[in-house]
Amino acid sequence: MKEIIDLSEKTLTLGRNEFLKVKGSIDTNVYYIESGTLRVFVLDEYEEQIIRFGYKENLIVSLDSFLTGKPSELFIQAIKKSVIKVITGHQIGRFLETETNRKLWTAVLENLVIQQMEREVDILTSSPKKRYERVLQRSPQLFQEIPNRHIANYLRMSAETLSRLKKS
Amino acid sequence: MQSEKLIQSLLEQTRQIINQVEKLKTCDLQALTWKEDETSWNILECLEHLNLYGDFYLPQIESKIKNSNTKADGEFKGSLLGNYFAKSMLPKEKLNKMKTFKDKNPLNAKLDKMVIDKFLDQQNRLLELLNQSRKVSLNKVRIPTSISNLIRLNLGNTFQFFINHITRHLNQINRIQTAMKNG
Repeated sequence: MKEIIDLSEKTLTLGRNEFLKVKGSIDTNVYYIESGTLRVFVLDEYEEQIIRFGYKENLIVSLDSFLTGKPSELFIQAIKKSVIKVITGHQIGRFLETETNRKLWTAVLENLVIQQMEREVDILTSSPKKRYERVLQRSPQLFQEIPNRHIANYLRMSAETLSRLKKS
Repeated sequence: MQSEKLIQSLLEQTRQIINQVEKLKTCDLQALTWKEDETSWNILECLEHLNLYGDFYLPQIESKIKNSNTKADGEFKGSLLGNYFAKSMLPKEKLNKMKTFKDKNPLNAKLDKMVIDKFLDQQNRLLELLNQSRKVSLNKVRIPTSISNLIRLNLGNTFQFFINHITRHLNQINRIQTAMKNG
């Protein structure tokens, strides 16, 4: 991971609620979160739906844009003040010219696929309680770092339901 | 210019606009309503002025995109008049003051922080419209200006004009904040 982060030549600081990416932009960067938290969401009509969160020491990317070079629907927004290292698609491309680096990168992508599958099962789980338990078990960190209203949105339930589940 | 390039640069400008105004949310009302003198605008008045323009242009753009049966074009050229209008809105190094139309002047209106939320809502709508505009011709779809129904600009120039106008007043907000610190 360190090898990838070291490619970065640019650091960004985002204030609370500032956007790293908006809907429709082509964004082929990979971002490493030095500090802070971010959320990735889409707008469904006028309703926001959070797809995932990024925490300190995570990588975050609009994978669709990164892989295809096409516009992506995703918004990426800082939940609190965040310091982000930018690694461009071009830098990653050059990095992947070496065999050992390709192995490393494959491991990163495989890890991402696993995470995406977990998330897919989350969304398809019909019981709110089970959805809550799955996420609590997988990443207890989330409940420390993210405001409740965002967690509720991520879990596709009302803030009231979430607070009831947390008490029980 | 490639149409997609134009859309990308407008989306990026809008992102920066949103981020700048998000920061204003943390200012207190006193800072937001501070003005250099009686006849100049405070920060909220600048934003409300932009909201009034948004109220005019966003619904126009929305309905013209919706009702257009044009196809996306690869290249955006812009018209002579449109390019001139869009450019004229850009802030210059040396301040070029402009007259405001009376109906777009919010001077001394009673304003509160809701103005900021309204502005940010409008920016989200603008993002949506920029995305939708990919499906139509930025050259052929024409939008009436607020100056006159008879003067119409193509969609690409309208977006440029609209966003440059916002940038212009966000620069004004920066100047107000500087003057306040020094005052």
